[in-house]
Amino acid sequence: MKNRNWVILLVLFLIIFDGFVWSEILFRGPNKNTEIYFLDVGQGDSALIILPGNTKILIDGGPNNKIINELTAILRPTDRYIDLMILSHSQTDHFSGLIDVLKRYRVGGFIFNGRRGNAGSWLELTKILREKGVPILILASKDKIRHLDNQFNFLWPEKDFIQSRELNETALVPLLQSQGVKVLFTGDIDTKIEKYLLKKHGLGLDVDILKVAHHGSKYSSGENFLQAVSPKVAVIPVGKNSYGHPTKEVLSRLALVGAQIFRTDKDGTVKLIINSQEINIFKKK
Amino acid sequence: MKIYDAAFCIAVFFILGALAASLKLGFFVVIAAVALAAALFLFTGYFKKSPTFFWLAGLCFFIIIGAFYYLIWGNRQIKNINIVFDKKINFTGIVVKNPERGSQQKLVVESQPPYSGKILAKIQPYPAFDYGDMISFEGTIKRAEPESYANYLAKDGIFGITSYPKIELVAKNRGSNFRAALFKFKEKIILGFQKTLAPEKAAFLSGITMGERAEFSKEFKEAMARSGTTHLVALSGYNISVIVMAMFVFLGYFLGRRYTFILTIAVILGFVLMTGAEASVVRAAIMGFIALLATQVGRLYSVRNAIILAAFFMALINPMVLRFDAGFQLSFVALIGIVYLSPAIKKFFRVPEERDILSFKENFFTTLSAQLAVLPILISNFGAASPVSLLTNILILSVIPLTMSLGFILAGLGFISDYLALIFGWFVGLFLSYETFIIKFFGKLSVFQIDSLNVVFIVLYYFVLIVFIWASKRGTTIIKQRQ
Repeated sequence: MKNRNWVILLVLFLIIFDGFVWSEILFRGPNKNTEIYFLDVGQGDSALIILPGNTKILIDGGPNNKIINELTAILRPTDRYIDLMILSHSQTDHFSGLIDVLKRYRVGGFIFNGRRGNAGSWLELTKILREKGVPILILASKDKIRHLDNQFNFLWPEKDFIQSRELNETALVPLLQSQGVKVLFTGDIDTKIEKYLLKKHGLGLDVDILKVAHHGSKYSSGENFLQAVSPKVAVIPVGKNSYGHPTKEVLSRLALVGAQIFRTDKDGTVKLIINSQEINIFKKK
Repeated sequence: MKIYDAAFCIAVFFILGALAASLKLGFFVVIAAVALAAALFLFTGYFKKSPTFFWLAGLCFFIIIGAFYYLIWGNRQIKNINIVFDKKINFTGIVVKNPERGSQQKLVVESQPPYSGKILAKIQPYPAFDYGDMISFEGTIKRAEPESYANYLAKDGIFGITSYPKIELVAKNRGSNFRAALFKFKEKIILGFQKTLAPEKAAFLSGITMGERAEFSKEFKEAMARSGTTHLVALSGYNISVIVMAMFVFLGYFLGRRYTFILTIAVILGFVLMTGAEASVVRAAIMGFIALLATQVGRLYSVRNAIILAAFFMALINPMVLRFDAGFQLSFVALIGIVYLSPAIKKFFRVPEERDILSFKENFFTTLSAQLAVLPILISNFGAASPVSLLTNILILSVIPLTMSLGFILAGLGFISDYLALIFGWFVGLFLSYETFIIKFFGKLSVFQIDSLNVVFIVLYYFVLIVFIWASKRGTTIIKQRQ
């Protein structure tokens, strides 16, 4: 009698589990579109890019573990692998959350600009990277990553700026090209760096989607730069803060170049689905 | 008067006295009340010619002793504290509790000479500190506000809060090695949950198995408060009592009585150890153990004494728990509910005694009576709650013991293989989905929301319950007499 109960429970479990596995196989094929999520992680930066074929790239992780909630809302519960982790620069509002991600997910590789952070939490990050044996790559301007038809071009930092006193000036600036759409991730760069970029790339900076620099600080996103970039969509990752981010100066400059503005504090996580014909934008709030 | 009756009365009066003092009733009010009560007892004793009432009148004196004890205890605690408030100072402290980690870290530190006393430090999530770390701080210590929060902290001897001070690690391993190892073990288990389950589910499972509350999102915390289920993850002793009872009944279906008893005790011990044997959990475990004993022994008088004596000793160690530890109140009242109310309800509905599938009926009435008994405390302690919390709790509590057992198995598998844990975690996830769904669903229903309760209502509520129990008992004696 007692044994039979256990057998029934076990069989029931196996049947349900079998159903689950088959449903995963049949109904969840790999994605064909490129998906970009600007995650609502509070005052900080974090973006998840899913390239066709379910290749996941995480750029920055926000200031705390809030990113975990966002990631699990997007990824399947059994999907605990992130192909690449890119850190723009070593400030806590960009990397603290990555520690939490590394604790829970397997990560294929860690890319940063080579500049160490000075916060105590930086040691925590390097410790967990070492513990998990994640390969570390240092990239800079002119480096490229290619995956199928998708490409990341790194536009910044130049060699002379890696030891810059201002950490914001050391940020990695990747330009993603996928399905004919260009997306620019600007980290926390200020107008000084924007000028360098303008001089070097000129109209090559023209993109469709822009991650607005430094949470909408008025010392970033200069007029000339925005005109060259001329984004159709501008996303500001920002949360509750005492700096006045995003500033009304930046908001009006963005409006001036005709960008459709999204901000993670008001819109929540912003999701963009890109295929060769169109960009679909969804906001959570 | 029998000796155990006298002991019972002394304990009750002592607790009443300490409770009165904690309510700041004023010394003369207490004395006046005691004098009145004593006079009443003497009066009744004289007319009924019963020496019991003379005894009672004499024992009333213990109310005053209880009140005194509370005041002296409080004074002594404050005297041992030396903290400089509202001024920027440098001080060192040792982390004495396992840090709470979420979007910020909360450390409870014992400040070192020249200062003394415990302080709550709120700091950045990283770098992560551990139990036993010695840290130097530079910052301002503030008093806790509002008063209810200050009292809540004071119960654990914490008198100041410092937010985002400048910090530096001085030394590691300044605490007990045994506790440090236990905390490490607990963190490993929680990490295992986080690796295999979605954050919400992982947080809920960590909550019900280990009382870990740091990882909850704000929305989920609110949903729990509104559906009246926060106590589930507070490891309050209330849930331990109910869980232990339900587990006992559930396991009793598969195993013999003795093995069930042993296994359940093992689970309680596991709890205590895994949470680092913190005072609140030890309290909870004692209450849970007594609940178990109550069903084992089955003698109402011994149970009555056991409950009250446990409460008495806890009040001796820390009288503030009487008023400021919701966990203590919940476990205490829930236990009384299970022991006294449950038989009364069963009788009222004429529930037959035979066992059914998975002892569902027994579980149901255990939970229902505990819930009915603690409802006012739940509402006044865990913020706004709606009367549907009764339903929510019954729906959830009936599967919690099973979820917990599965959670422990999952924790074990996590040590063996991540993949194995992932598959089993999916199965545990089914139950957790159900529970989190119920919490969120009822958290959204805002009908009949009750924010706070009138004292008169609370008194009336308990009066009705007591009358109900009393009437049910009288019923028994009448029937017996007829037979």
